[in-house]
Amino acid sequence: MTSKTETPIKKVAVIGAGVMGAGIAAHVANAGIPVVLLDIVPEGAANRNAIAEDAVQKMLKADPAPFMHKRNAKLIQTGNIEDHLDLLADCDWIVEAVIERLDIKQSLYAKIDGVRKAGSVVSSNTSTIPLATLTEGLPDGFKADFCITHFFNPPRYMRLLELVTAPETRTDAATAITEFCDHKLGKSVVVCKDRPGFIANRLGILWLLAGVTEARRLGLTVEEADAIIGRPFGIPKTGVFGLIDLVGLDLMPHVLKSMVGALPETDAFFQLDRDLSLVEKMIAEGYTGRKGKGGFYRINRAGGAKVKEAIDLQTGEYRPTVKPALESIDAGKSGGAAALLTHSDKGGRYARAVMARTLAYAAALVPEAADEVYAVDEAMRLGYNWKQGPFELIDKIGADTLIQVLKSEGMAVPTLLETAAGKTFYKIEGGTRLQLGTDGQYREMVRPDGVVMLADIKLTAKPLVKTSSAALWDIGDGVACLEFTGKMNSLDPDVLKCIHKSIPVVEQGFKALVIYNEGSNFSVGANLGLALFAANMAAWSQIEELVEKGQQVYKALKYAPFPVVAAPSGMALGGGCEIVLHSDAVQAHAETYIGLVEVGVGLIPGWGGCKEMLARWTEAGAANKAPKGPMPPVAKAFETISVATVAKSAAEAQSNLFLRPTDGVTMNRYRLLADAKARALALAEGYTPPEEPVFRLPGETGRVALEMAVKGFRKLGKATPHDEVVSAALASVLTGGETADMTVELSEDDVLELEREAFNTLLRHPDTLARVEHMLETGKPLRN
Amino acid sequence: MAVYQAPLRDMRFTYRELLGSDKVTELPGCEEATPDLVDAVLEEAGKVCESVLFPLNRSGDEEGCTFENGVVRTPKGFKEAYETFREGGWVGMACDPDYGGQGLPNCVNTLVEEMICSANMSFGMYPGLSHGAYKAIKRFGTDEQKQTYLPKLTDGIWSGTMCLTEPHCGTDLGLIRTKAEPGAAEGEWKITGTKIFISAGEHDLTENIIHLVLARLPDAPPGIKGISLFVVPKFMPKEDGSVGARNGVACGSIEHKMGIKASATCVMNFDEATGWLVGEPHKGMRAMFTMMNAARLGVGVQGLGIMEASYQGAVDYARERTQGRALTGAKAPEQKADPIIVHPDVRRMLLTMKAYTEGGRMLAAWISQELDYAEKCQDPKRRQEAEDFVALMTPIVKGVLTDLGSEVANLGVQVYGGHGYIREWGMEQYVRDARIAQIYEGTNGIQALDLVGRKLGAHTGRYLRRFFHPLSEYIDRIMDDDELEDFALPLAKQFVRLQQATGYIAQKGLSNPNEAGAAATDYMRLFGLVAMGYLWVRAVEVAKQNLDGDEADFYKAKITTAKFYFERLLPQTGALFAAIMSGSRTMMEMDEAAF
Repeated sequence: MTSKTETPIKKVAVIGAGVMGAGIAAHVANAGIPVVLLDIVPEGAANRNAIAEDAVQKMLKADPAPFMHKRNAKLIQTGNIEDHLDLLADCDWIVEAVIERLDIKQSLYAKIDGVRKAGSVVSSNTSTIPLATLTEGLPDGFKADFCITHFFNPPRYMRLLELVTAPETRTDAATAITEFCDHKLGKSVVVCKDRPGFIANRLGILWLLAGVTEARRLGLTVEEADAIIGRPFGIPKTGVFGLIDLVGLDLMPHVLKSMVGALPETDAFFQLDRDLSLVEKMIAEGYTGRKGKGGFYRINRAGGAKVKEAIDLQTGEYRPTVKPALESIDAGKSGGAAALLTHSDKGGRYARAVMARTLAYAAALVPEAADEVYAVDEAMRLGYNWKQGPFELIDKIGADTLIQVLKSEGMAVPTLLETAAGKTFYKIEGGTRLQLGTDGQYREMVRPDGVVMLADIKLTAKPLVKTSSAALWDIGDGVACLEFTGKMNSLDPDVLKCIHKSIPVVEQGFKALVIYNEGSNFSVGANLGLALFAANMAAWSQIEELVEKGQQVYKALKYAPFPVVAAPSGMALGGGCEIVLHSDAVQAHAETYIGLVEVGVGLIPGWGGCKEMLARWTEAGAANKAPKGPMPPVAKAFETISVATVAKSAAEAQSNLFLRPTDGVTMNRYRLLADAKARALALAEGYTPPEEPVFRLPGETGRVALEMAVKGFRKLGKATPHDEVVSAALASVLTGGETADMTVELSEDDVLELEREAFNTLLRHPDTLARVEHMLETGKPLRN
Repeated sequence: MAVYQAPLRDMRFTYRELLGSDKVTELPGCEEATPDLVDAVLEEAGKVCESVLFPLNRSGDEEGCTFENGVVRTPKGFKEAYETFREGGWVGMACDPDYGGQGLPNCVNTLVEEMICSANMSFGMYPGLSHGAYKAIKRFGTDEQKQTYLPKLTDGIWSGTMCLTEPHCGTDLGLIRTKAEPGAAEGEWKITGTKIFISAGEHDLTENIIHLVLARLPDAPPGIKGISLFVVPKFMPKEDGSVGARNGVACGSIEHKMGIKASATCVMNFDEATGWLVGEPHKGMRAMFTMMNAARLGVGVQGLGIMEASYQGAVDYARERTQGRALTGAKAPEQKADPIIVHPDVRRMLLTMKAYTEGGRMLAAWISQELDYAEKCQDPKRRQEAEDFVALMTPIVKGVLTDLGSEVANLGVQVYGGHGYIREWGMEQYVRDARIAQIYEGTNGIQALDLVGRKLGAHTGRYLRRFFHPLSEYIDRIMDDDELEDFALPLAKQFVRLQQATGYIAQKGLSNPNEAGAAATDYMRLFGLVAMGYLWVRAVEVAKQNLDGDEADFYKAKITTAKFYFERLLPQTGALFAAIMSGSRTMMEMDEAAF
């Protein structure tokens, strides 16, 4: 793991092995830190550690996986709070994640305080109980070491961590936790005040409640509601009802109750209809959401067919879903959120009743629950996956427009929003990012130490090279950064052109190159749409040229006289994986999903992916890290590529050799560029390009063996007819083609030629074209 | 004088020799359509067209339809001709035998339709519209509707219409105002509204007229998604198959048109007329779309029919008319002047007409054969391919063949000189009749937009594959064929132009739809020319194998026509390509006020 700061936290304990506690423990293990996981002793249990042990076992099977690598489970030491409290003695941080009952928590704190070492930090994962209440009556020493660390579910994937401290909390304790969560756990730590629901849930629950009750009041269907409170506002398309189905209906009444119990009657919650009787009825009948029989939506399998149904909010009866058709929805598509918010139909009324209210509430939370608007935005982006936070949304809609909407609806205009009249909450001045404060003054927004964002650099810099799909930037200290900019960061001729033009620029003016971008995915691979269209119009020479160009450009990167560091995050698939494979080193975000997935669309890696995987497994054999000889690398590469293996984390990618064991991993997405840049500079000192590998491949005998294996899978029904065709082409490339045998040395270019030929032949196959089309249209592979 | 003889020899060439007519007999329902049977059908159709329909073409044009007190009369002789036509079973030629039809494949029907349009395009409108109504009810109607209407429409004793256009909307049917309200009985609707440009809306040829009407239900969503299809008979059908009381639909007036004057184009007023829903509520446009391929193909064939008739008239005249001498000296010294056919420019016109006509026939026949596969093939893969292909090529057949119809009809007039311009010779009628085919069933501008907007990008270009892949493979195959060296390279070059233009439009059109719109018409023409070029090379291949037989002259003429097409017509692609690649900027930058 790469980290700038040495952490004082060497060992962690989590008490409570429920979904949240176990998930937190798993994620601490993901950071490579040993962790103790304790729960109560179940009544009459033979195995007194059953709860914690079962939790770990369950997590090993869960999807999405809480562990970044299965071996991380070994870092968790399980036990129970009756027999193993002494395990806390050497822990630097103890996280309490037990049931939300004050008495239980407080008695646990007393026990913890009895065994914990001096200077250790204790935190609660509570989502509802105020900090002051939690520590009431506890010793001052405990209070000084205590804070709230509120994780979001699932802890591995949700990047938000809400931190609440008391005036008594030691500053260095808060700093230690913040740094650990930031660097080691990769969280964005948002500081909240000790107010009910903190930031994300306070706002989120109001939003969901308004979404549910206003839909019924205004007579909208759940489909209409989700179409409005979704995409048009940059909110995931699950909207309100789909999201509640996802997180579970049973959470709603419970959280609402605690929220209403803790907030003053002047709060916006009390202006809403809070009648959740339909939800309660559904819970009683087992309709608790996707984990249960269904929720607001369900799949009705009666009669054999799968019919998606939605509940009628007025009658409580299910009926087949109907595609929403409202003028306001269409208006939102063309005119954006503002057009939807000001539309006169019931969709517009609903948007006002839910979103205008929610945005106003967000403004009311500063400074009550958060010190700055950025904290609220970050909380909603990372805690609820909103594309833009509420204040970014207000900027988009226009503060004045929102004020008018609120007035016309008879809703109060919060002070902060009034302050923003005629202004925006964010602005950029001279390359500096500013946010509006409660006093109406703009203040500079400062990134945490060691965080470098390309977006910030781009505010003032001009690209050194630019095409429609990629750009080259100067990121300082003699390092250049290649950024993909196309749709989903897919790779097309313009990306290749940009790389081609960038190489001499970097060579002349820079020490090293980093390949990095801030899209949600590093790259989803070659632009399949372009390729399919070209194939459909039989533009074969154009396609052949593109394949060859890609090989040349990637090879040129590999042997360029400067080090190249790829810094992937999110998906790095197909051609996106191949560029990573051609880099001298990689600094990967821990959440990198990397693989050569070409066979899924009936193709094989054609930009040197086959070649690089062969070289990596051969190298591993030579270093005694994998079996030696010509066949094992071929078999390994075949195994990996023929089933389109995708590593589900950077750690897994190291096992598959998509990443080298020496490649770095960064937990915090915001720190990736800085880490990659540091790695690039470290390599630049006395850099010499790698030597070209030479291949000795088994030829026909090897090919036959691989084909036999595939035939076996075919008989078992695990491979489809076209899988067989694609596998045969892959086997032929990896074994060196028709004429190879172990006595013949093949160069990189020889293998690249084999890749090209196989790729071009496969792309003419109608079954391959059908796969590509299916992938483009459904996002899923076609098993033909 | 305009003359017409069914081009049976060339049809046989297209149908049997080029497309391999025995192929369709593998399709269910087409088993009996053997080449011999088809030959016999075409011969009989030719006789009817030559002897019954063609003689009424000019008189029908002169007299036109008349409208009096809500009654429309077709010109003299039409009623009798229709009876002969109907009794011969021609109305139901392509209809299902279950309803009394003959079940002949589309590709045969296309050739017969061509003959009908050559002989008398106005007349052809009446059975043509009936067939459209037949298809709609057959595909979307209830069993009861099918039993009530299909046997009558197949027989021809009743006829049909399609009532889409309203005074304020034609292309944009989402604006339709005609409404349907609940009627007296369950399932009955009261249709109220005005439809215009309704071909065969009212006439005296049949005992009943079955209108298919687009209207809105009371709960219809706005726009194109709220339109439903209704069947509204002129007379209420009775249980026993006879006609009952008059329904609330009447003709308000008929249009006075440029051409097809013997076809009644009516304003139809629906005043709480009783109708029944055909297909699902609000899905009327979908029903229309599924019938559109066949209907548009039919209009393309009208262009083709006019081309053939005009060509025949022109050749006849060019041989007979003597004026001046050949440029190289007298060719017929025994006469006072040479026939004008000796002149290069007259030959240019005649060969242009011939090459487009025969090329257009190959194209139309090819697409209609694939339409048979799209409708009837049991192998889902093959059927899908055919559906894709027909979807892609339909706008091209409609747009290009009707544009060429007009061009060829104009050349026909030109060959006649001053005599072409006067009515007596019959050549100017073709110009007038051909003109509407470029407009109705979606103007040719709309066809071009359909091609670049809907068809090009569909499934990331999958429709294109059905044309581009066979053509690419064909070019690879003939590239080394010495026999075809005059054709292979030019075809390959034009194909590359088509590929480049396709890629350009697809890419530019994504970011700026005006780019696709600006290129559309030229692109459609480019596509059509390349498609015909491909068919002409295939025709040459067939012809070269037959140069030693009894019909050597026929095949030699094929090869010469193909050469002419390649030398004189296909090169237009160069100019079209340049125009396409120039983009939309100039035409869009002009200030509206400056027009």
